[in-house]
Amino acid sequence: MSVFTRRVRGFRLIDVVALGLLVLLIMSVYLAKTMASRERAQIARVEREISSETARIRLLEAEVAHLEQPSRIERLSTAYLEMAPVTVDQETTPDTLAIVALPKVSRP
Amino acid sequence: MSLGSGVLQRRFPFGLRWLGAGLWRLEHAFERARASGRAEDDARIRIFFVMALFSLGFVALAIGATQAALFADAARGGAAGWISPQARADIVDRHGRLLAADLPHYGLYIDPSEVWDVAATRVALRAALPSVDHERLERALTGDRRTFLTGGMTPVERAAIHRLGLPGITFEPEQKRVYPLNNTAAHLIGFADTGGQGLAGAELALNDEIRNLAGAGGEVALSIDLRVQGALEDELRKAALTYGPRGAVGIVANVHTGELLGVASYPDFDPNNPGSASPEARLNRAASAVFEMGSTFKAFTVAVGLDAGVATMASTFDAREPYKLGYRTIHDYHASRKILTLVEVFQHSSNIGTAKLAVGVGPERLSRYFTDLGLTTAAAIELKESASPLTPKVWNEDAVASTSFGHGMNVSPLALTRAMLPLLNGGKLVPLTIHKREPGFRPPAKQVLSETTSAQMLQIMRANVTGGSGGKADAPGLSVGGKTGTGEKYDPEIRRYNGKRQVSSFAAVFPSDGPLENDRYFVLILLDEPHGTPETFGYSTGGWVAAPATGALIARIAPFLGVSRHVGPMENQPRLASIQTPAAGGDL
Repeated sequence: MSVFTRRVRGFRLIDVVALGLLVLLIMSVYLAKTMASRERAQIARVEREISSETARIRLLEAEVAHLEQPSRIERLSTAYLEMAPVTVDQETTPDTLAIVALPKVSRP
Repeated sequence: MSLGSGVLQRRFPFGLRWLGAGLWRLEHAFERARASGRAEDDARIRIFFVMALFSLGFVALAIGATQAALFADAARGGAAGWISPQARADIVDRHGRLLAADLPHYGLYIDPSEVWDVAATRVALRAALPSVDHERLERALTGDRRTFLTGGMTPVERAAIHRLGLPGITFEPEQKRVYPLNNTAAHLIGFADTGGQGLAGAELALNDEIRNLAGAGGEVALSIDLRVQGALEDELRKAALTYGPRGAVGIVANVHTGELLGVASYPDFDPNNPGSASPEARLNRAASAVFEMGSTFKAFTVAVGLDAGVATMASTFDAREPYKLGYRTIHDYHASRKILTLVEVFQHSSNIGTAKLAVGVGPERLSRYFTDLGLTTAAAIELKESASPLTPKVWNEDAVASTSFGHGMNVSPLALTRAMLPLLNGGKLVPLTIHKREPGFRPPAKQVLSETTSAQMLQIMRANVTGGSGGKADAPGLSVGGKTGTGEKYDPEIRRYNGKRQVSSFAAVFPSDGPLENDRYFVLILLDEPHGTPETFGYSTGGWVAAPATGALIARIAPFLGVSRHVGPMENQPRLASIQTPAAGGDL
């Protein structure tokens, strides 16, 4: 009895196998499409989030640049911290730090 | 069969021949099945064959569908990477600090068909958007189609409107060029229009580069250092507030690379809203305005005299009497009435001595040197605003005498800067640039002065600060050199030069000591029509109003530029003590 003539509960085995394969293929395509669309939606959501975060980062960078304007920093540091540009007598080098650390001696 | 095979071989390629042979064999199999009395096998084989073909086709379709579903993102990625035609790349300073950027903004649209309560919407929008014209709002609310109401809304403004919960109000994203530093470096950065085209400054000069880089997500790095720029603008503003000039200019440049580390023009404006600024404020005086610079030009004359071999550092000039040249008589502003060495001519800013030196050089040579120094053409730089100079029509002795001390020739501050660099960098005419250069970069440059001349000019300029008219520009330990300049302006109302309207400047270099190839910086501070104060005894000359600002600026920016102070027993000792003594030399 060949595979083409063998019957299972009145149905040819070859037909049953073919139908099973067909259903498997349909299911696999359906699953692939469904999973893919879910993944795609997730990817799109993440991309939207990235885009939104990138825009926020750029806005914050611009805000930081705006707040760190040299003229603004200068105005605030002068007004609230009484700071001023460094003068020559406020500068030193690592080599002369030891001299700066010495106690001041009154000269005649 | 053999005939058929022969025809097939001649007419068809191998693939078709193989398929044909296969079908031929299959047909023979059917014939054999029929001949052996198994006709039903023949039908089954045919059914199996057709089903197999269908299955194959279905599998192919399934693979195609799965692939399309899984890998369709590649095409979508292209859409996500779409760049607006108006997009422009970020502009940053040499250390990457943001100067200009495209930021997301929103346009507000009204669809009247979806507005439930026109009166309530009108009241809410008038309160939320007071700047929007009432008639425009009315037209949008009562029109028959979706209408654009206003654009350039920040996300915060959009959220505020969104919270009102008004039906019929929608937003669409749009890009807007933003300058987060407002007035800082406004003239250098410039501005662009809403269509993404640069209109001024770097935005115009580097328009193509900025637009091309927008797609690649890159940024354009300018040569300026924001810290230097901030200090420059601050010192310039302080000087402007003290002396009340009509305008002011500040420039800091690297003498070897030609990079502009700071460029300021006063008054300034906010490039976020250039339309509201006056033309006076928008004018980039560093590039677009030309001035008779006055005595800063003496640096060129002295350099030319030295380079042409007409004078040496030890040459002397008789400045005891005014110098008569043709119909005119040249006087000294600070009349010393003595014989001056070349260095003293520079230190006392002697018009007589400089004119005599220039006459010794001669019209042809002086004009050739001035051309070589780039003083007769617009400053070579990317900025489109770079103005052409006003030069003498005829280079005769009169023109030579005038231009030798900075009269009769108008140049832009940038042109003056460019011409000054060869005096300070070993004689090379480097092009100015607003592009950041890599450390150690040396642009190809024409040798217009000898290295010896350049070294001598550094010494002379230093001597002018330690013992000449530029004393107020000194910054302890930084070996500042420089030249004052005070040019009277031509007054059309009185049809002659007006002594009360001056252009006062100071052109400085620091550090002036060390080998020629050392890092070195040029600084120019210029005030247009300053007014003297009681502290300056009413004087508004370069030495009184521009030199102090220059010294203060240099003291502030030296640490940013890596120039360390050398404070010690030798500091501020006149370096030219040996050559300031009159010695053998021509008395011109």
